[in-house]
Formats: sequence, structure tokens, C-alpha cells
Amino acid sequence: MNLTMVVNGSSHELDVAPHSLLLDVLRDSLDLKGAKRSCDTQVCGACTVLVDGQAVSACTYLAVEADGCSLLTVEGLADGEALDPLQRAFLDAGAVQCGFCTSGMLLTARALLRENAAPSREDILHYLRGSLCRCTGYRKIVEAIMTAARTTR
Amino acid sequence: MSARPLRVVGRPVPRVDGLEKVTGRARYVTDLVLPGMAHARVMRSPYAHARVRRVDVTRARALTGVLAALSGAELTWCEPYYGPAYRDRPVLAIDVARYEGEPVAAVAAVDEATADAALDLIEVDYEPLPPVITLEEALAAGAPLVHTGKPQAGIFADLSTLRPEPGTNICHQFHFARGDSAGALASADLVLDDTYRFPPVQHYAMEPHAAVAVWSETDGLTIWASSQNPYSVRVELAKMFDVPLARIRVVVPHLGGGFGSKTYAKLEPLAAALARAAGRPVRLAASVAEAFQTVRRCAARVHVRVGFRRDGLLVAVECDADYDVGAYADIGPRVVQKATYTATGPYRVPHVELAARAVYTNTTPGGAFRGFGVPQLAWALESLVDAAADRLGRDPVELRRQNFLAHGEEFAPGDTPIDGKLEESLSRAAEAIGWTRASAADRGRGVAAMLKASVAPSVSEAIVRLHTDGSVSVLASAVEMGQGTRTVLAQIAAEVLCVPLARVTVVQPDTAVTPYDQTTSSSRSTTMTGRAVQVASEDVREQLLRITAEALGVATRDLTLDEGAVVAPARRLPYAEVLLLRFGMSGGELIGRGVIAPGRTAAPLGGSTPFWEMAVGAAEVSVDEETGAVRVERYVSVADVGRAVNPLLLEGQDEGGVVQGLGHTLLEEMLYADGHLLNGTLLLYRVPRADDAPPALECHFVENADGSGPFGAKGAGEGSLIPVSPAVANALARLTGVRLRDLPLTPERVWRALRARR
Amino acid sequence: MLRPFTLHRPETAEDACALLATLGEDAAPYAGGTELLLLMKLGLLRPPHLVDVKRIAGFGDIADGTRLTIGATVTHRTLERSPLVRARCPLVASVARHVANVRVRNVGTVGGNLAFADPHSDLATLFLTLDATVELVSPRGRRELSLAEFVRGPWETARRPDELLASVRLSPWPTGTGAAYVKFGVHERPTLGIAVALRLDGAGERARVADARVAIGCVSPRPMRVEAAEARVNGVAEAELGDVTGAMADAAAESVDPADDLHGSAEYKREMVAVFVRRALRVAVARARGAELSASFPHAVVA
Ligand SMILES: Cc1cc2nc3c(=O)[nH]c(=O)nc-3n(C[C@H](O)[C@H](O)[C@H](O)COP(=O)(O)OP(=O)(O)OC[C@H]3O[C@@H](n4cnc5c(N)ncnc54)[C@H](O)[C@@H]3O)c2cc1C
Ligand code: FES
Ligand code: FES
Repeated sequence: MNLTMVVNGSSHELDVAPHSLLLDVLRDSLDLKGAKRSCDTQVCGACTVLVDGQAVSACTYLAVEADGCSLLTVEGLADGEALDPLQRAFLDAGAVQCGFCTSGMLLTARALLRENAAPSREDILHYLRGSLCRCTGYRKIVEAIMTAARTTR
Repeated sequence: MSARPLRVVGRPVPRVDGLEKVTGRARYVTDLVLPGMAHARVMRSPYAHARVRRVDVTRARALTGVLAALSGAELTWCEPYYGPAYRDRPVLAIDVARYEGEPVAAVAAVDEATADAALDLIEVDYEPLPPVITLEEALAAGAPLVHTGKPQAGIFADLSTLRPEPGTNICHQFHFARGDSAGALASADLVLDDTYRFPPVQHYAMEPHAAVAVWSETDGLTIWASSQNPYSVRVELAKMFDVPLARIRVVVPHLGGGFGSKTYAKLEPLAAALARAAGRPVRLAASVAEAFQTVRRCAARVHVRVGFRRDGLLVAVECDADYDVGAYADIGPRVVQKATYTATGPYRVPHVELAARAVYTNTTPGGAFRGFGVPQLAWALESLVDAAADRLGRDPVELRRQNFLAHGEEFAPGDTPIDGKLEESLSRAAEAIGWTRASAADRGRGVAAMLKASVAPSVSEAIVRLHTDGSVSVLASAVEMGQGTRTVLAQIAAEVLCVPLARVTVVQPDTAVTPYDQTTSSSRSTTMTGRAVQVASEDVREQLLRITAEALGVATRDLTLDEGAVVAPARRLPYAEVLLLRFGMSGGELIGRGVIAPGRTAAPLGGSTPFWEMAVGAAEVSVDEETGAVRVERYVSVADVGRAVNPLLLEGQDEGGVVQGLGHTLLEEMLYADGHLLNGTLLLYRVPRADDAPPALECHFVENADGSGPFGAKGAGEGSLIPVSPAVANALARLTGVRLRDLPLTPERVWRALRARR
Repeated sequence: MLRPFTLHRPETAEDACALLATLGEDAAPYAGGTELLLLMKLGLLRPPHLVDVKRIAGFGDIADGTRLTIGATVTHRTLERSPLVRARCPLVASVARHVANVRVRNVGTVGGNLAFADPHSDLATLFLTLDATVELVSPRGRRELSLAEFVRGPWETARRPDELLASVRLSPWPTGTGAAYVKFGVHERPTLGIAVALRLDGAGERARVADARVAIGCVSPRPMRVEAAEARVNGVAEAELGDVTGAMADAAAESVDPADDLHGSAEYKREMVAVFVRRALRVAVARARGAELSASFPHAVVA
């Protein structure tokens, strides 16, 4: 099937099988390896990408659903070499350890801030319900999101 | 060395690999693509225990696009068994499948779809056998045996004294005694005796195990592996394929978490065998469900007896522990013996009798997991210490303080004296949690302490190269798995060589390039690998000074290093100029070498720990009495780290350790029924989420620069996890009067205990 | 990894149903795929044809009327944020906010949730208190069933293979109704879901409970209304509610039919039903009075 999508600002035309998962198309066809496969069951968020601004689990999402959509992956977060405030805040706060959850965390946070520019701690915890991190203990991730929200406003 | 103030060591600098990680550019094993790479899939046993009568892969092999199809019986061209303690684990089941999920056959094909289709064509004839799932079943008289053959010793010198009990499921026993515990208990004023249980839990490093292997005539085997100890993997592979160590190259790119799950060979033997058979690079990437079938924490049943004098003095501890190591020993025997050796925790105990067994069961093999057997024992001991405080009418903080080992005190003859101040950690924790202030009526507070040895003897080597432009390469094989090792090693080299951190690059582990390092576990990297890097950097520094001194005709003691230059009384020579002096041209480099190899000692386990990991945890909890749901409202962790080389990363380590500890304390347990794992996916196995972390979580550090590591540092990262369960349970007991002995403290378990109290 | 299938994307219900009729067992309706693709990845289902229902005209609409009609392909996220839903059935919007996680909510649909008939559905339980009916379309036309008739048991519905769930219709509660939905559990899906709605008839001291609705999910093969519990509070004066709450909770606990499983023992679940019925009732009564209790319980969500 034909698939036309804009990923991180550049347009792609692909021919994919209906059963291709978005995660595999991004990783294998477009070589965007930032989104990771972990739980493979929509629980952990490592595979999170934004489709028209909405977070989805690319591990359980047909690529053809993204036809005509604009996608954001972690590779598109920074503007050239200028980091997104979230990336900066994650670095500074020590919210990154092994990094396997990081791209999903960043994109989830990006979607949250798009909906809610001044989230409370509770708002963040609620939004992160499907975003697991086995390294950090979460405190620094929450702190980084709050910092990024403040610097973005 | 002059007492110059530290420039980069001790600073909370952001991690050196952070930019790559926040931009998504960091490459993990699963991200690698090699030309012509084939994809592997594994067929796994549906039975916990079965005779494998026949595995027929011929139809799979015949499928177009299939490059290799293997069964265990066919692995005659290599040594098919591996394992660090015992070589008891076949790459693919041979004759018997010993746990649900054990690899039985495997294929490599041009793509994943073909590999999947090939699995459907494999025929296996199983004859189900009765399994033993629990410790009770495995230890019962006449229990079915998981292994019947004579065990082959693995690669470990310190496990040369493996003591299996033939005709049973016991694969190793450990015993350690001092004084006369029976006599001391007989005359003790208070003796408490209880059995505690710790569940089998899953590491869930978010990156499941993965390996990409390729063989070539000239280089032998190259394997990119998600491994915490590439050098152990190298030994296994060299033995399996009978190739020289120099022809096995294990490369570790970014690692998506380890926590012990990636120590010792896991998928690497199978990936290498498939690559050999396929004659192509092969990628074997496990799913998380397969990670549940690869390794887990050893469950344990721990019986502890403690004896106190009326005045609170701890006089005797007896411990009798059974660890469930699953179907294959992995490193279980060492987990058992090393942990049991320190079963008395951070206390001075004159009379001890410690015994433990490693027991085979028909479940996922148990291996190393953050804490290495100590959390299981600390759960029991630290709970009992609180129970004793209660019976003695003593404050649990004071009772601990009374019995703590002192700084400099001997733990056991020949082993390292205690190198930290437990009482300082305890005081800090008590103060931060507000121990002496009354807590709200619906809150309870509890504390717990821990002590853990690091692995000994062990070896770390490092090479530091100073290039003509004054930049530095650090070659070391400690694996960066999120804990911050790369950053810490860079800080150490930058400190010694007086260069900006940005001028230092720490090369990723590659056994063909980076020198030997035993393992990235046991909280040892900062101390051991860090020391090796420090020594190697000092070697370079001495060379810089010597060259300059000779060239300028001054004494080396008149020279100092400052921001990338050697400073002589009247001159300042940037390193580039020093190298020019040395080589007479722009080329060449100074190479420094650091070797930390303390060797065997008279200590009971054959080596003296390079440091003691020590920490105290304090929890404040509330409980919903009607549902049994426990909430950890506040948690304080205090670790004695000697010196925090990077406080930011260290804090991250310990926060993560606490929350991971809350996992097995409140939520996590791999549950079996009829030999089947019921919750082997993240849909059913619940790990802590952001909203499970305590709303107030503080991690503090005691820094007295008294560690044997660089700049007085010592290891950290496991200590914060270990006190969590007893601290929470002690808090719950003080709040409700109810003491639980089985983890996790699920709402139902707590509810039942509360109901029984009423 | 998914096995190959053919994806059909009909734009009318007629075409979709015709496809289902022709393909029979070989086809599965596909909406967000949050359940379906998961089962297919695990190899538990291998349908050779998927019939995407998301392009079917009208399936994504939310329409007002005496009843509120929610199209089958409306996502949890849309439900959560729809001004219409918030105005007419505010509790539905707030429950939708707590279904699964944000990614599942962005993609998963109301129809998929109901048609899948997982016994741990929040929506099915809540909808029972809103006298929900579902509209099914097939080549034979349309039919409407009550939700109770539609959900037959765990993963089992009255849907015939060539039928599609087109929408669910809710009867918003009369003004003055106070309601609460409470879910509890440590697992990914709830261990228990309880919806309580009621009105207070009359003013002040003399106010009496009317129109009580209690539905309980997750602890029986299918979610159910518990009339026995409703009967205990209907007509009871607000001041006397304290006296009957225990009996009401016990009636609820006796009505459910839990099993021992990963979520806990049957005994524990029964007890939790009693606990959370009491709690939900308290919140609902306060809301009927226009007040909000600050109720927060560990591992529980109060919507
Ligand atoms: C991680 C996770 C957590 C969850 N937690 C919760 C929770 O807390 N509470 C809760 O209530 N739910 C929960 N769910 C379930 C979630 O609500 C459903 O997955 C979702 O709503 C299903 O919608 P879908 O469109 O993705 O369905 P699909 O996966 O597309 O379909 C599901 C089933 O319904 C059928 N179907 C779909 N649409 C129609 C139709 N219009 N007509 C006929 N048949 C149809 C399909 O054939 C399939 O059998 C959770 C799910 C996941 C994956
Ligand atoms: S990998 Fe997709 S949510 Fe975990
Ligand atoms: S940083 Fe490792 S999982 Fe989050």
C-alpha cells in the first residue's frame, strides 16, 4: 500500500505492506532508530512517536494509519543543533540514564506540553502512566518536564 | 600528590553520552544493521519439564530464505554447554527441556517474517515430565531432578569449591561459621526466629537482550552484545567454539539497562552458533517476553535466628537460606555464597552460623540482579532487627547504632576492614525522615541498613592515550548501562590530566581494543575501573613531567599540570609541545597503563572486597486499612560513597535503586501455576510507574573520602535498593502492628494480615 | 511481528457488512487495533482480513438528542475532551480520561472497547448506569440491544459475525444526579470498577435517595447492574444513609461472581466490592448535594 507521510518535516513516499507496523517502518525503512521496542504491548512507551501531535505506540500501530499524517520522532525534536527545551532539561536534570526510554519520554512530554503548557506534578504523573523507566526513579524526569514547561512559557 | 582542589571530580556534570541519547542518535545492539544480516528466531519449550524426544528442523531448513536451522542434538560441531558456575546450560535443549521458554530450536533467515514462518515448520516431540516449581517441591524427598548428570565446573576460580548434593536438586551449598552460635543463642536474653520469603522478579531492563554475530576467517568471531561483561562472554565463546581469545571480539555499544540481567553469556552463544551455521551476520533480538524466559532474580526462603542480650547487644545470628536458582545455575551459586557471607549485615556479631543452598527448579534461570542475593537476606535480617527492637523496648535506630560495625573494624579475618561510617548514614537518614519528631497518626516510619561486599578478587585494566592535540582517549571495558560510568571515567582522566572534560573520550567496550575488565557489576566500576583509569592517567602525567623535565633541565617536582599544559617555573608548555619534544614531529602519543589486580587473599571467600557498600533507608508509609494498599509517602536513602565523583548521576542511580526496590517490595512477582509463568509480559507484570515513586524521595551521600577508589570514592548503586523492603515493612509494622514476611506487600497480602490482627 | 493480512477500508456500513458477510470467519473488524493487533502479534488471532471501520461515515460522530449517541470509532481521547460529552455525561468524559494510558486512549475506540468485551472494561460498567444501548448494523439492517444483552460474558458478545457495532446510546441522568466511578487495582487493567449514580429528592433533612444505579465490573464474567444494592438505598433519607450503607455494600458483594486470578482471590475481590461501593456512594451523595469530597485512595482512581 502507498504511504505518504511527513516525518520530522520531510516528506516520504513508501510502499508498505498493510501489516507493517509503524515502528518497523520508521526504524527499518527510514532508519529512524530513536523509537525503541521494549514491552511491545503498549505499556512502556519506549516506541512513542507523535502522529499529528498525538502520542501513539508505534509498536502496535499499522504504518498505513499514518498515511497523510505529520509525524514527529525524537530525531525531529531538535531544531538543527538547537535542542528542544525538553532535551536540554532532561540532560541538565539527569533525567537520562540508559536512554532506552528517553525518546518516548521526550515525545510524551512534548505531547503533554502541547496540550497543557503549565502542567502540575499530578498532570505529569497522569500523562506518564504509560511511560516506564527502569533506571531513573522518575523524579528527575518529572522535574525536567516541569523545567522545560517553565522555560518554554 | 599535592592537595590541589578538584576541578571536575565531584561536580554534577551532565553525562557525556547524554546528547546522543536525547537526540535519539545513540545506537543500541538492536539498532545495528550489517550488510547481509540474517534474523534469528527461537522456538521455546511450552513445558516446564519435558523429555525432548525429537526435534526435526529439516522442513524449516528447506524453506526459501532460511539460512540456518539448529536443534540441540545437532550442535556436535561446538561445545553446546555453557555457564559461569556450572557448564550446565545447553545452547539449545539437549534431550531435556528444563523450563518453560527454554530454547529448543532456532532459525536464521533473510528476514524476520521468513524466520517466523520457519518456526512453524519445526516439529518437536515432547514427553512431559513432572516439574518442580517451588523450593518446597524441589527440596522434597524423592523430588524429580532438574539435572541428573555430573556437573561441569564453569569459569570461576572462586567457585572451584562448588558443592552440589548429588541425587538432589541442590547445586551448591555454602557454609560459614564463627564463634559458637548455638551456645550464644542458648544464653541470649532474646531469641527471635522467623522465615522470610523473597519472590522471583524480573529485571526488565527496558532493552531486552540482543546480539549480532559475524564470523570471518581472519578475525574470528565478532559479536555486538548487550552485555555487562564482554570479557566473560568472550571466555564462554572461546570455549564453545575452541578459538583463541584473541579471535573473539565482543563489542558493547549503548546498553539499555542491565541490573545484572546482562552479566555472563545469555543470547551470545546461540547468536554465534547461528552465525556460524548461516555463514552470515545474524541478529538475535529477544522480546521482553523472552527476557522473562532468560533470567530473573533468585527467589529465596530465608530462615534467620537472632540472639540479643537484654541491653540490646546482638550476640548471635544464624541464617539458613534456600535460593531458587531456576533451571540452570548461571551465576546463582556465587550469588548464594557471596550474599550469605554477609548475611549478618552491617552488624558486629561474634557468633554466626550461616548456611545456604542454591536449588534448581524448573523455572527461568535465576542470576545476578542488583544486590546479588543480599536483598533477599536483608529483607529477613532487617525485619528481625526491628522485631527485636520492639521486644526489647528499644528504638530501632538506636538498636542498630549500638550494633553497627565501626569504621576500621574487621568484618572477617583477612577481609577488608569496614571503610565507612554507618552511624553517620543512619543519623542523616533519621534526621531527614524526622525520626525523633512524631509522625502524623496515619503514617508510620521505618529504617533499614545494609552492607554488601563487592566482587573479589577482580581485575580491571585501563589504557589512557594522550594525543598530539592534547586530547585524551580512555580505553576501558566497564560498560555504560545508564549508571554513568563513561562520564565518571572521563571525569577521572580529566582530573588527573588537567584537561577539560570535553577533551576526553571514553571508548565503548570492545575486547579487541579496550583492555580487560572483569565485569560491570557489583558496584565496582568507579572503584576498580576508575582506579585503573586514574593509574593510567597518572602514568601519562609522569611521562609528561619526565619529558618536560629532561627537555628543560628542571626537576619534575618543580613542574605542575594546568589546563592542558605543563607549567615550569618560567614556561608553560601545552601538551602538544611536550609531545613535539618527545617525538620531534607532530605524531606519536603517550600511552599510560593502569592495572588494578588485588589478587587472592586470606579472606574467607578468597579475595578481600575492594570496598564495602553501605547504605541506610528510611521510609514513611501510609496504608489504606480497608484495602491493604500501602503508599510510600516519603523515602530517604543515605549511601556512604566515600566521594561522589558525579553527584548528579549518583543521585539518579540511587533514586532508581529505591524505585526499583519498591517494585519487589510492593508490586512485582513472577507467578507460576501448573509450571507455567502467568505474567510473563508487561501487560501482566507490573513494574513501578511514575506515580508509584514516593512523592518525596531524597538521596543523600556520606562523603568522607575513605574509599579505596579514585579520590576516596567507593562503589554505589546497589545500596539504595537493598534497604527498601525492610524499611517499608518496618514502617508498616510500626504503623499497624502487623509484620509481613512475604514479599511483595500486595494490597491483598497486607489486607489479610490486617484482618488477622483484628 | 504481524502476519500478513488484507486490509479493507470500506466507507459505508453497507460495504463493511457485506465484506464481513462474504469473508465470514476470515475477517475481523478493526478499529484502533489496540486489542486486535496485540492479540495478532501474540499469535492468538490470525485473521487473513481486517475490515477497518474507521472510515465508515457516521461511525466517528457524537450526536445529541434525548439520548447521547457516541459513534463506535470515537476514541477515548475524543470522549474525554468532547464538549458535548462533558456537558451531557460529564462522568463519561472523566472516566475516559483514566482508561489505559494516553497512547491507548488516542487510538482505542469506544466500539472496540465494548465489542471486545474484556471483563475489565471501565466504559461497559459505567455505561450500564446510563441505560446504554448499542446499535448493530448488518446486511439485514439495524438492531438495538441493551448493553446488558450485548455483553454476554468474557470476550463474548451478541454481535453476529457480519454485524458491526455502529454506536452506543446513553441516557444522560436527570439533573441533580450525583455520580462517581471508582476503579481499583495495581495491574494494568482495573481489578474492580464501580459506578454509582443517584439523586436526592426533596430538600435538606427530608431529602431521599432516588434513581440509584449501581454497576460493578471486573469481578464477574461481565459487568452488571446490581439492583439488590440499588434497592437498599432507594427511598432512604439522606440522614439515614449511614445505616443502610453496610447492607448495600454487602448486597453488592453478594451479587458479584469473582474468580481467583492474578488480580487476587475471589474473597478479597468480594470484600473490595463492599469497600468501594461504600466509598463510591459517599462521593456520589456528596456530588448530588453539589459538594466534592477530597477522596483519594492508593491504587484507586475516583472519577
Ligand atoms: C495497555 C492497555 C491498557 C488498557 N487499560 C484499560 C482500562 O484501564 N480500562 C478499559 O476500559 N480498557 C482498557 N484497555 C482497553 C482499551 O480500552 C481498548 O483496547 C480499546 O478501547 C479498544 O479499542 P480499539 O478501537 O483499539 O479496538 P480494536 O483492537 O480495533 O478492536 C477490539 C475488538 O473489537 C472488535 N471491533 C472493533 N470495532 C468494532 C466495531 N465497530 N464493530 C464490531 N466489532 C468491532 C475487533 O474486531 C476486536 O475484536 C486497555 C488496553 C490496553 C492495550
Ligand atoms: S514498545 Fe510500544 S509501548 Fe512498549
Ligand atoms: S533511562 Fe533507562 S529506562 Fe529510562
